[in-house]
Amino acid sequence: MPTRPLGGAGQRRVPRVAPWSKQVQGKANDVSLTGSEDVFVALHEDGLNDLLSRFFTTRARYLNYGSSAFVASTTAAATRIDVISFPGIPGGIHWFVRLEIPRVDVHPQSMGLPPELDPLGVQRVSLVTKVSLCVDCGERERQPDNPRDDKPDDRTHDHPDRPAGKLDPVCFEIEVFIIARAERTTLNGKPAVRLIVERIELVDFEPDPFESVLECILLKIIRAAIAQAVLPLDAISAGTFTLTPNVGPNAQDDQLQLAGALTV
Amino acid sequence: MDITAAIDEPAADRLLDAVVGSLPVQTASGTGSLGPFSASYSASAALTNGNVDLIAPSTVRIAGFRVDWTVGFSFSLDISSIIPDFCFPQVCVNIPCVGRVCTPAPCINWPTRTITVPTIGDFLNVTADFGLSAARVGPDWEIDVTIQGVPNLQFGAASALILAAIAAAATPILLAIPFLGPFLAIGVAALLATIGIAGVTGLLGPIITPFVSGLSFNVYKQPANFEAIPAAGVNDPAVFISIDDVQAQIQSTDEDELVVTVDVS
Repeated sequence: MPTRPLGGAGQRRVPRVAPWSKQVQGKANDVSLTGSEDVFVALHEDGLNDLLSRFFTTRARYLNYGSSAFVASTTAAATRIDVISFPGIPGGIHWFVRLEIPRVDVHPQSMGLPPELDPLGVQRVSLVTKVSLCVDCGERERQPDNPRDDKPDDRTHDHPDRPAGKLDPVCFEIEVFIIARAERTTLNGKPAVRLIVERIELVDFEPDPFESVLECILLKIIRAAIAQAVLPLDAISAGTFTLTPNVGPNAQDDQLQLAGALTV
Repeated sequence: MDITAAIDEPAADRLLDAVVGSLPVQTASGTGSLGPFSASYSASAALTNGNVDLIAPSTVRIAGFRVDWTVGFSFSLDISSIIPDFCFPQVCVNIPCVGRVCTPAPCINWPTRTITVPTIGDFLNVTADFGLSAARVGPDWEIDVTIQGVPNLQFGAASALILAAIAAAATPILLAIPFLGPFLAIGVAALLATIGIAGVTGLLGPIITPFVSGLSFNVYKQPANFEAIPAAGVNDPAVFISIDDVQAQIQSTDEDELVVTVDVS
């Protein structure tokens, strides 16, 4: 079965393109940055990556999620989530999800993408990350449905930070390519920007039906995680000028660009 | 550069309106020369932004920049310096059986009085060029708009006003001095002639010019360790980024803009 990217970018609203859409920093031209607006602010993808790196480093809990066997309580480092409950499994199935800090590329495309996502669409952002998914199999030796009677030492993909006790995580890691758009939102009542994940793609993952299921799960997880990184405009502008945005965020010229009225 | 921010000329005008409007009234006091006299003064100045003209690559011209100033001063006047001292003539009479009798010959030595000129205010409209500078100052990155050179301030109308005020302040003081009444007009005229427009300008210039000559407006100040996202609870600590470099310049395309670029990590 052919792989079908999830999400559907064509259903999304494409932000209005500002008159300064061709303006790139450092390039001489005759078009102003602000256009008909008072203020223009652009965050280059390098700066966006720095900002996201700082965000996810400081608040790693938006990358690390685990049920109580993995994460005793929510801290800045990790978020505790519910176990997967299932009848007949006392305490449920403990699991852990870890995302690497995503690397961002803002249109036009400069980062390689799998064929399903290539080329990067206008007004779009691509991200790449790695996802580790772990499940606790600490009780399986005693279960009748374990005919292979695996021993812990037989497994090669165990969670590297295996907690003490009976926890016996089995993990796998996969690279995920993501297509997102930038969206205006608010943080504490002030204008902000976040990335909304539209599609993801797993590479060389078989069988295809399993890939589709996994993509479905990871799309939901990654979309939720990435959306937590809400960047106030003060962060995007480094506190230079305060604006009430009227245009953007536009993902173009390797930048997230906004324009609006000056607030003094 | 990681971040590019720009404002157009009207926005820069409004930004400087706010910056200049937030400045407190400046004050100064000291002594200065009022013609041949030494005057003690106290002065203040309030600033109002004018019309901003952004000129590439790094000039912010402000036309009609208004300086509302006040100054009050006092000076010690040795009246003898403007009206000569004199002695009444001695009269002698030969009186029979008494002999020669002479009247005293008193001399008038004019006293010294303090002339206090009440606070007088006026305003100046200044057009000046300001330069842009971005620099790391201690823990902060700052962008300042700093006046270039010392503008030529014209005090013509104010000088005449102050001369009139000096005359008004001196008159009652001179009137109270015995024997000076007949010489009042001469005395006041001599005082004003001694000071002159040049003397008033010579006092006002050094007082008011420093309010303008050192002008610098801060339009950007952020810590190098910049709080990008505020804390939102114990599990969401504040997110900081490092501001590694800040540059500011004027770019001229189809409009003039103040462009700030920032490197972060």
